[in-house]
Amino acid sequence: MATQYSPSESKDLVDQTSLNDANKTDLSDKQTLLAVLQFLRKNNFKETEGLLKKESGITDDDVKTDTAHPSASEVSYALAAYKSDDDPTLYDDHFTDLKAFIESCLDVHKVELSMILYPVFVHMYLELVFNQHEIHAKEFYEKFCMDQEDYYQEDLRKLSTVTKKEHMQENQLMDNFRSSKFIIKMSRDSYTHLKRHLQEKQLNLLLNIIQEHLFIDVFDGVPRTKQQIDSTAGGLLGEATREANKAKVLYGLLKEPDLNIPVEEEEETVEGEDRPKKKKPKKDPLLMKKSKNDPNAPANNRMPLPELKDRDKLEKITAFRETLKRVKIGPESLPSICFYTLLNSWQGVTSLETSEDSSLMSAGFADSLIRVWSLVPSKLRAMKTQEDLELIDKDADDVLERMMDDRTASDSKLLIGHNGPVYAASFNSDRNYLISSSEDGTIRLWSLQTWSNLVCYKGHIYPVWDVKFSAHGHYFASAGHDRTARLWSTDHYQPLRIFAGHLADVDCVQFHPNSNYIATGSSDRHIRLWDILSGNCVRVMTGHKGAVHSLCFSPDGRYLASSGVDGTVIIWDLSKGNMMSQMRGHTSTVCALSFSRDGGVLASGGLDNCVKLWDVNRILNEHDTDIDATIPSTLLVNENPKLLFGSYPTKSTPVLNLHFTRKNLLLAAGAMKIS
Amino acid sequence: MAEKHDKEGKISANLSSDSVRVIAESIGFHGVPDDASTYLAEDCTYRLKLIVQEALKFMQHGKRQKLSTADFDQALRVQNIEPLYGFHTPDLIPFRYASGGGRELHFLEDKELDLQEVINSTLPRVPLDVTLKAHWLCIEGEQPAIPENPPPASKEQQKTEILDPTVKSAIDKSKKPGKLVDGGKARLRHKGGNELVKMKELSNHELSMEQQLYYKEITEACVGSEESRRSEALQSLSTDPGLHQMLPRFSTFIFEGVKINVVQNNLALLIYLMRMVKALMDNQTLYLEKYLHEFVPAVTTCIVCKQLCMRPDVDNHWALRDFAARLNAQICKNFSTSINNIQPRITKTFCKAVKSDKTVLATQYGAIAGLGELGSEVIKSFLLPHIKSIGERVQLATEGPVINNADKIAADNIKKALCKYLPPVLKSLRSANETVEEYIAEYGYLGPTIHSAVLKERQSSSAASVTPSQPTPRPTIQLPQQPKTQFVIQSGPSPTLPGTPSTTRFPPGGMSISRTPSTPIPGGSTNQQKIVIMSSQPHPTTPVGQSITLNSMTGGPNPTVVKVLSGSSSSNSSSVGNSGQKIVVMSLPPGNGTGNVQGSVVSPSTAQDLGIRSIFGDQPAHHMSLTKSEPDALP
Repeated sequence: MATQYSPSESKDLVDQTSLNDANKTDLSDKQTLLAVLQFLRKNNFKETEGLLKKESGITDDDVKTDTAHPSASEVSYALAAYKSDDDPTLYDDHFTDLKAFIESCLDVHKVELSMILYPVFVHMYLELVFNQHEIHAKEFYEKFCMDQEDYYQEDLRKLSTVTKKEHMQENQLMDNFRSSKFIIKMSRDSYTHLKRHLQEKQLNLLLNIIQEHLFIDVFDGVPRTKQQIDSTAGGLLGEATREANKAKVLYGLLKEPDLNIPVEEEEETVEGEDRPKKKKPKKDPLLMKKSKNDPNAPANNRMPLPELKDRDKLEKITAFRETLKRVKIGPESLPSICFYTLLNSWQGVTSLETSEDSSLMSAGFADSLIRVWSLVPSKLRAMKTQEDLELIDKDADDVLERMMDDRTASDSKLLIGHNGPVYAASFNSDRNYLISSSEDGTIRLWSLQTWSNLVCYKGHIYPVWDVKFSAHGHYFASAGHDRTARLWSTDHYQPLRIFAGHLADVDCVQFHPNSNYIATGSSDRHIRLWDILSGNCVRVMTGHKGAVHSLCFSPDGRYLASSGVDGTVIIWDLSKGNMMSQMRGHTSTVCALSFSRDGGVLASGGLDNCVKLWDVNRILNEHDTDIDATIPSTLLVNENPKLLFGSYPTKSTPVLNLHFTRKNLLLAAGAMKIS
Repeated sequence: MAEKHDKEGKISANLSSDSVRVIAESIGFHGVPDDASTYLAEDCTYRLKLIVQEALKFMQHGKRQKLSTADFDQALRVQNIEPLYGFHTPDLIPFRYASGGGRELHFLEDKELDLQEVINSTLPRVPLDVTLKAHWLCIEGEQPAIPENPPPASKEQQKTEILDPTVKSAIDKSKKPGKLVDGGKARLRHKGGNELVKMKELSNHELSMEQQLYYKEITEACVGSEESRRSEALQSLSTDPGLHQMLPRFSTFIFEGVKINVVQNNLALLIYLMRMVKALMDNQTLYLEKYLHEFVPAVTTCIVCKQLCMRPDVDNHWALRDFAARLNAQICKNFSTSINNIQPRITKTFCKAVKSDKTVLATQYGAIAGLGELGSEVIKSFLLPHIKSIGERVQLATEGPVINNADKIAADNIKKALCKYLPPVLKSLRSANETVEEYIAEYGYLGPTIHSAVLKERQSSSAASVTPSQPTPRPTIQLPQQPKTQFVIQSGPSPTLPGTPSTTRFPPGGMSISRTPSTPIPGGSTNQQKIVIMSSQPHPTTPVGQSITLNSMTGGPNPTVVKVLSGSSSSNSSSVGNSGQKIVVMSLPPGNGTGNVQGSVVSPSTAQDLGIRSIFGDQPAHHMSLTKSEPDALP
């Protein structure tokens, strides 16, 4: 019973508005239709207009009566939530009163209650601005802005630029505050305290704001501590509701197809016996084959995946062979790091990516070029021309070798086609394709056999910040400035799914190893996990204090590491959606994250010119797996500074990419900065 | 709170209504009403801030920490505003400020470019192509000390290490508790007799096998005969990070090397050693303060020593003195503080040499060069008052009844040096229309020379006012034209064989030196050569005075004697040699892998004077006396 979700209390505060909401949506639908009709009329599309009218059942009268209505009241309608006739000086008093009340509470409640100060502050300020009490708004802002938590200061700075009613339109931040509620998790005790106080004092103004703009998710249990609150706070609109993370996530890996590798099978059994039978995180994906039915794994046909070709099977066999030579790394046996430095990159490097088998590296430049290097002795070659290809004996065993033109061999190849900085690139699993995204709003698919552009996907209109190929090929995901993430398949020029829900730019995207989910990180400081099949958001994770710029799934698929502008590295448990560990140490944006192939070590690197290694095994060992995620106050976050076991600075090269080879050698890459 | 106020300060940047009015005027709108301009200013501020916020995203995704104009353009494009084309600059363009006529203005400096000039100018060089370069950032957790990686110990760390040797353990994790440290501690405690005395721990400069090899290679190359190898070695010394572990050894190598080679009058080696000092000083990653007590005496010796070469009248030891003087000036500039008083102490030493009539002219020359390099203030207060007495000595040397060739050359060089250092100072100090007579009255014998030099300086500076300094090129150190001496420096390759010359090679005939007959040669035979190998290792077990004869390797009829010396005292060296050309080589074998080079420094008596021995009084004098008595010392 304790876990019961009980928003009933908050519901009675909210009831009224939800009714209004229903009316509003009806109204807005009609208004849209009317707007379309008006547009058609204006452009003289008489037939279409007639058809639409017929279908929607809108009469001419409707159109006429409504034409004047929306244009005049558009602004006020949209922002009506902020309309208020109160005396501007009241805001100051009420906020001071609220602060005094929170101060007077018991310490256990104080920290929880002080969470509402920030949203109340923001909305009071906006009401003042909306009602054109500009001077009061400014005074109010200056008086209380310093009381807010440090991690809100960036948003507050943005807020402070809004000083006029006119500014409130078309401001992204305003839209978010207006259209969504600020979510706060609070224990029942604290919540009752607050409710009693507000009702006793008859603070209508405060009550209104809390009713309209706050969503208080009440849980049964002891109040949370300051540390617990701080660890999940920081999102643009507060925390995630507990309801958001209820859905089951099938984080297990797909069953590997039987490859019939007789020699390796023997070795495998030997190894299997050597190792004590530990739980999932210890096992590497290829040895998981024996646990036939992982209850957490999705069925192999849940997502339609491309058939394995002979070539893919060969690739898997080589990968497996290399895996057997893997070095075990950890704090006792430290890894080696090979650093690739890009020299003379005067134009600015915006992305670096290494292929899964560590043989290719791509760099995207601010001058819209993409360059691909071979990291292995074999050079990059292009396919022969059509005439020459006809001459080849197609039944030869080495036909793949024969179709390449040796005259074109070089260490690096240039891909030209984009029209803006290339923000991301990703290799296909068989290394025949490269997908890239750019500031020009396009995603391009390149063939690494002909070294030319095959497809240009135009779906995002605005800059595309990130693009990633699925581990199984065929699908790729993109994220962009238009606040959406999209799923594509290489053979469709339109997206298969559009994932909308983030309140600001989606800065990064990452495929789950089983290709059934994608994770996105955003400038609204939330991380979301989406189910590709249904398109639903199945996890919302908050806790970052800055935009999230890199994500990485653990090899077993259960954990997600994230990092970004705030420099903290966070590890999430996807089974419950809770934060497991927060690791501080970087002094600037973290651009790259990589799990070692056995999942025991996490490497992170960023603009502070440093590669850091974190002990994930220790986090897993110290983590209590039996906690109840529905009671936030029971969740503990591991912030042990000893998790950091290696820190390797470069001279003046920001770390833009990290990649563990199959043998657990860490490859890092970056472009040298001349100061 | 202070930080928060800072933030507040940053956001209150606003466009003023005055600016709006000025901008309006600049595009032809006059008389914008007050409320309109205020409204516009507020709105523009808001819009600008929005765009900057948007531009920040592009900066972040561009993996940069500095906003660029391109970011701003992209932010404009996202907002469907046409960006400003052609406005690209990698750097900040500062606003200029001007006030006057009751108006304050901030404006951008916009220089007019001559199109013709732009068209006709040569094209800029094509930038180098992007390349990918791999190196090891770390190997099994150890970060190798290669130029690609940051230095293992930053200068700050090295600095704190002086005061607190426990920091050391943080710098190199591989520190093992050596026996020597324990022994040292026990001894000190025994001596002190008081348990409460806080002992400074011994710094342990442990060298890995690679470092020992590196040390050997570098020292060999630096004093070897191959110029290309030497320049490579010096390049390595001046650029490589991670030398701090070997620094004590290098410094002792130089210190001892100078000590001995001064006695041997081996000009070439002294020059090589000074070049090593220069290279070490150029290395940005090294913290040299700890080793000044060895560098300063070595450098000072090379400036003021009475005799630096075998034939003072022929060899160009003046270049060495000049070079060392410049090094000395650089040391003063870099390291002199009010606590260590390096510059005053050095100045005092030089001054004494200048003042005294008994010093050899060569020494006086060195002192003049040393003072001259220290700058105009020093010249003014320490050199100018003594010009007259110097002049008298110069006169005596050039026009006196008994003319000594060596003295004459020295006197000429002193004249030249004075003509180089004095005019820039005198130019501003004395009025332009002073006559030769006044100069003579002031400066005696040297008056006319200085007068003409000052005149010349005045002319040249007025003729080419752009380059006011004298055009004398900074003389690079040149080896005197002398048949190259071949020698191989042997350093102990392993702790078990301290100073054993296992790989010594002597090219046949390579060491015979042809001499000009005028040079006085101490001793008779020149063919017998002596190689003294010094080991400063404090172990008493090392065989002292063990002679190894390498007959077979010389190929010549005369045997080469290799002498292995132990103990750091150099006074032995003068008594060891008995004839001929001597090459003194030192090696600092890392005894038992811990080779505590600082043995003498850590001892309580010397630790007191802040790591810098009072070198100016005794040490150089010691060298000088050695040099002086040298002809007698060598039978």
